[in-house]
Amino acid sequence: MLGFIGKRLIAMILTMWAVSFVAFAIIQLPPGDYLTTYIATLAANGDRVDPATIEALRRQYGFGEPYMIQYWKWVSGIIFRGDFGQSFEWEAPVTTLIWGRLGNSILLEGLAVIVMWLVALPIGIYAAVRKYSLGDYLATIGGFIGLAIPNFFFALILMYLSFIWFGETIGGLFSPGMENARWSPARVWDFLSHAWAPILVLSMAGTAELIRILRANLLDELKKPYVTTARAKGLSEFRTIMKYPVRVALNPLVSTIGWLLPALVSSSVIVSVVLNLPTAGPLLLRSLTSQDMFLAGAIIMLLGMLTVIGTLISDLLLAWIDPRIRYGSK
Amino acid sequence: MDNTRGGPGNRTGRIVSGALTAMLMMSSAALAQQQAPMLDELVSSGALPPLEERLPANPLVVEPVESVGVYGGTWRSALRGGLDNAWIARTVAYDGLVRYDREWKEIVPNLAESWEVSEDARTYTFKLREGLKWNNGTPFTSADIEFAVQLHKEPTYVGPGGFLRNPDNPVNIEVVDETTFRFVFENPTGVLMDELASVNGLTIVSLSKEYCGQFYPPLNPNASEEAKAAGFETWEAMMLNRCAWATETIRFANPDLPFMNAWMVEEPLTGNASRVTFVRNPYYWKVDTEGNQLPYIDRLDMRVSDSLEELTLMALNGEIDFQDRHIATVANQPLFFDGQEAGDYRLGENIPSSMNTMTIQFNMNHVDPVRRELFANRDFRIGISHLLDRQEIIDVVFTGQGEPFQAAPRPESPFYDEEMAKQYTEFDPEAADAAFKAAGLGEKNGDGFYTMPDGSPLQITIDTISAFRTEWTDMMELIQLQLEAGGIDVELNNIDRTLYYDKRPLGDYDAQIWQGDGGLDVIQEPRYYMPSGPESVWAFRWQAWFNGTTPDVAEEPAPWAKQQMDLYNQLREEGDAAKRDELMKQILQLAKENFPVIGVSLPGNGYFIAKNNMRNIPEPMLHAYLFPTPAPYDPFQWYFAAE
Repeated sequence: MLGFIGKRLIAMILTMWAVSFVAFAIIQLPPGDYLTTYIATLAANGDRVDPATIEALRRQYGFGEPYMIQYWKWVSGIIFRGDFGQSFEWEAPVTTLIWGRLGNSILLEGLAVIVMWLVALPIGIYAAVRKYSLGDYLATIGGFIGLAIPNFFFALILMYLSFIWFGETIGGLFSPGMENARWSPARVWDFLSHAWAPILVLSMAGTAELIRILRANLLDELKKPYVTTARAKGLSEFRTIMKYPVRVALNPLVSTIGWLLPALVSSSVIVSVVLNLPTAGPLLLRSLTSQDMFLAGAIIMLLGMLTVIGTLISDLLLAWIDPRIRYGSK
Repeated sequence: MDNTRGGPGNRTGRIVSGALTAMLMMSSAALAQQQAPMLDELVSSGALPPLEERLPANPLVVEPVESVGVYGGTWRSALRGGLDNAWIARTVAYDGLVRYDREWKEIVPNLAESWEVSEDARTYTFKLREGLKWNNGTPFTSADIEFAVQLHKEPTYVGPGGFLRNPDNPVNIEVVDETTFRFVFENPTGVLMDELASVNGLTIVSLSKEYCGQFYPPLNPNASEEAKAAGFETWEAMMLNRCAWATETIRFANPDLPFMNAWMVEEPLTGNASRVTFVRNPYYWKVDTEGNQLPYIDRLDMRVSDSLEELTLMALNGEIDFQDRHIATVANQPLFFDGQEAGDYRLGENIPSSMNTMTIQFNMNHVDPVRRELFANRDFRIGISHLLDRQEIIDVVFTGQGEPFQAAPRPESPFYDEEMAKQYTEFDPEAADAAFKAAGLGEKNGDGFYTMPDGSPLQITIDTISAFRTEWTDMMELIQLQLEAGGIDVELNNIDRTLYYDKRPLGDYDAQIWQGDGGLDVIQEPRYYMPSGPESVWAFRWQAWFNGTTPDVAEEPAPWAKQQMDLYNQLREEGDAAKRDELMKQILQLAKENFPVIGVSLPGNGYFIAKNNMRNIPEPMLHAYLFPTPAPYDPFQWYFAAE
């Protein structure tokens, strides 16, 4: 087991290195740089900037240096000093900008994942065991609708309905006055009274997907002879199903845990913009459009890291759930 | 020469401000001065000096729009994302040495109580109000202005452009005493007062020597080491972060930074902020006609939201007290109109400074000599203009609002010339055909399209940006259909704005579109009338020649454009506003004759949303960037009526 984890850790570091290299390259692919975008933004406001200022800024930011040198400066800063570089737009170190937002992302999306599993597992199991019953059809219809409606559109509908019916504006994660308060029972309550909408929206498509996967997997398992044997031995129906087929049917779900977080972060960008959630998504979007490359690079790096760590966790979980899995290749 | 000043339209106006302020001083001294109730407690507890000690000797007396107001309340509005500093500039930050009056016609005293311009227009002498204080209570004097000038002379410091760093006309400052100083320019300048009164004129009064000096090596020998210790690479980087100038976003991220504005930072605008708040500045140096210290409104509360949908719903729900930025779109107008009663707000009228919904700029400096010759041909552009059915565009895209209009000053402007605004705007395929023949285009080919003079196919690619203005997509699709029906093969090339900008120096584009800047601010923003700057995309290489900024692509302009540039140089150095207007008219006359840029339609009036109990908001408002609406309408004298 330890050797397995060790090997995986080495592979993780290599993967992270590759991610950083590619991410940094991709960020620089679009034409122009942060300053071109900056000039364009000013011009859109009818404002202008002195070319001498731009030249000085260009020197200060180190644009125009070769790719490898820029990359090395960035990566060495991260490795040796934990310094992800400066955000051009905010004139501030990237690290001061991302942690709070990343924390919000993980909190919100973690809750969404929990809700997703809590809702999807019972429904999925029910739909498989009572195949072609009314409940199964309802779950199927609900699942397809959930899959078919884009998240951001669902968010818009929710905002509209809440405005029309309750005269409430859904948006943000806290009420005025609570935003910068310390965590307290009142703040948790305030958070929950705002967070239900994004959690509902974020978990909907995932829930629908999980129901379908679980139902299909479970249907395969239920037909297998060991289930018949278990029943023949007189095991209670509940125990029969939960002990073996469900456990096996969970495999594909567990093995994709690693992708959940990055998928949620990237798929939630538009939802976060629409619902005004202070998460990493809008910051990433904004930094990409303004070509604030160290900020964008840092977020992409951290997402990459989350994916890699998530994959490791799911591998370990899988090995724990399914005794058939062997470590190593032989 | 006394204070000659010109607004955007540069209508000549003279007032002797000294006499005026003296008069206002007498009237204010006679009245008992009052302050907001929220400050009373601070004063009685000794945390704040009494009002007489906080106000300058002659506070600026502001005439309320309707009536003297009452103190209190929070003005709620919203920023779109964390970097929307322009809304802060438009509400909080606009307080320079001088400011524009509410008609945008004259320049009136502000921090400076008077000023004088020398005969040769090279020396500008300003007199500050006596006893002005930053919001932390330290005096605001000529030394602060001197500090700003000195800082901007540092070659390694990256500050804003503007007159402080103009390499063609360097400026020096002479400090006479605590309240008097002189700007001395190497060459005459006639446009300084307009720059100081505009939103770009705030840098000079935004840096407190006492606070910002601690980051500056000549004043604090340890500044560089301290910057390194604080995690910045250089002292310049720390200065930019802690002591940002004028309206920079990060200026509002540092609550310690001294301000001269009506409200000061309470909850700062950091990268993670979901709300920014401002609270009244107890040292604000303006009073109303009864001697009450301004502002009336206690706090500003700005929601930071990336979501336009959320902002729209907030406004409909009555959760926004005053705003036009972002939410006041053409598409939202019926929605907001219907929601007035439920949301307890009203719609007010805005007159945009923009003169066009879209300008089409053919590239007269194309790298391909054949295309260059074609696009530089006035008859070709006249033909294109005649093929546009502008009324159709107005009806379909702008629900009938606006009128056909070329790139020309707006009807409200003193430079308005109906002929210039309306020439070649009628939809007339026959006139277009005649113009194309005059331009030497070949006969139409089998597809019904005109050909190049040598008979080869002619296809024009127009670069567009859909991300910037959503209505441009609809407009361009209609324009493509209209031009193709008239025999011009058009391809639309929708690209990102950075690529848009990168293409300009390369010169390899047929045409680009943009908005109609310079409708009211004609002298300050003549980009469509002459090749004045890099935004004159239709003659990028000519403007490079004029400005000397990118000498590698500079090309000698056509004689008429060169003549315009000579006139504009004279205008910049002219101290007399009436003569400046005359020079501008000559430039416009040349633009009219040579018809460089094609316009589509005059934008319809915009609107703002204001809660019904919010008072002293004049209507209609002129809406511009240099005149940063609504700030020139003195939001510090707006108030919430008790109902």
